[in-house]
Amino acid sequence: MRGPRLLLVLLLLTAFTLTALDARSGQGSPFDALRRGADAALGPPQRALGGAARGVGKLLGGDSDEQAALREENDRLRAQLRRTDDLRRRVAQLDALLALKDSGSYPMVPARVTAVGSAFGFESTVTLDAGSSDGIAPGQTVVDGNGLVGRTLRVGPFTSTVLLLTDPGFTVGARLTRAGTVGLASGSGDGLEFALVEGGRIAAGDGLLTTGSDTFVPGVPVGRVTSVAAPGGSPVTTAQVRPYADLTAVDLVGVVTGPPRRTPRVPLEPSTRP
Amino acid sequence: MTVRRCLLSVAAVLTALLLQSTVLARLPLPGGAPDLLLVLVVAFALAEGPRSGALTGFGAGLLADLGADHELGRTALVLALVGYAAGLVHDDPSLGASGKRSTAVPFVVVGLSAAAAVSVYAAQGLLLGDARITGAAWLSALVGTVPYCVLLTPFVVPVVAALVRRVGQEPVRHPW
Repeated sequence: MRGPRLLLVLLLLTAFTLTALDARSGQGSPFDALRRGADAALGPPQRALGGAARGVGKLLGGDSDEQAALREENDRLRAQLRRTDDLRRRVAQLDALLALKDSGSYPMVPARVTAVGSAFGFESTVTLDAGSSDGIAPGQTVVDGNGLVGRTLRVGPFTSTVLLLTDPGFTVGARLTRAGTVGLASGSGDGLEFALVEGGRIAAGDGLLTTGSDTFVPGVPVGRVTSVAAPGGSPVTTAQVRPYADLTAVDLVGVVTGPPRRTPRVPLEPSTRP
Repeated sequence: MTVRRCLLSVAAVLTALLLQSTVLARLPLPGGAPDLLLVLVVAFALAEGPRSGALTGFGAGLLADLGADHELGRTALVLALVGYAAGLVHDDPSLGASGKRSTAVPFVVVGLSAAAAVSVYAAQGLLLGDARITGAAWLSALVGTVPYCVLLTPFVVPVVAALVRRVGQEPVRHPW
């Protein structure tokens, strides 16, 4: 009995030392190269098995090709519809003043989900079959046909790891489509929790769009408010949000790899009519 | 430990890691997913004892940590501990030798091990200040992991036991 016990103590000490080293170094961990190596080694077999996994999904009640095409079209139309609330507001506020053209075109790299990570259910990450050789970098916005999926964490040459928006470590600035008020949406495990920065009203059924930051592209649909909690006396109004993206079946996604193709802002000249 | 026996562990862990990330974690199951790596570690522990359980758990956990978004060594610690504890069942004479133990034992051990793994991981996360660990997250991880792991038991434990027997397990002195 002494042998295994000593071995266990050694293993636990090693594991704990690794954890401590990794936790203290934060960015630029000494294990980053090891992580990238593991990603690179596991990428090809995961990609090969990804096809098998999709086959299994199809057997368990997936779509035929025709259904898939219809679903895709449906998703696209629905996404357009979701943007209209916000568009109307913006049109009223801004377009009278600025010669703004809706800049909806970001350079985007399509990718497929090849693997899913969960850490006993405490984390939500997925692996994509595209990486830095396709122009992907850490911290980029990931979307699917329905809306926001997450942001890239770690990027290898041919694979990248994405933090899903339901992960408790995920936070994004978001705006209510009807009221236009801004707040922060954070992952809560199975959905998102949205909290307004300053007071305001949230109604169930409101839509959320990203506000945009150095990490996130603005105007990406995030989700819909399902219930509002205004704890007595609390100045912060919070709401539960269900993401538009279907994260249990997330498969084909797009990674936004750069700034939008710029629309030139033409200065508004004062009227020169006599 | 013979070379063949080492190869078996490495092949089993790599296969489990790939199947877990590409197939099992993506099954459209409500609430959670089975953890093949955990069931595999328990299966090795039940077939060979605490030494095998702790070693397999450590290796499998370290590989899982490399692909995840948390500090290296966290899953390794949890699975080494769980593998060791499950291996004590193999050594316990009151539960019968591994050949003629009750069929309920593996199910119970896997269930308890899964609950222990989730809880130890959560406790360790609290110590490290992991913002993901909350009471609600712990509960939903328990509910989403334990039953599916138990369901996986009859597909993994007998297979690992048969493989270990075939490769020929002899009590070998370890260099460590």
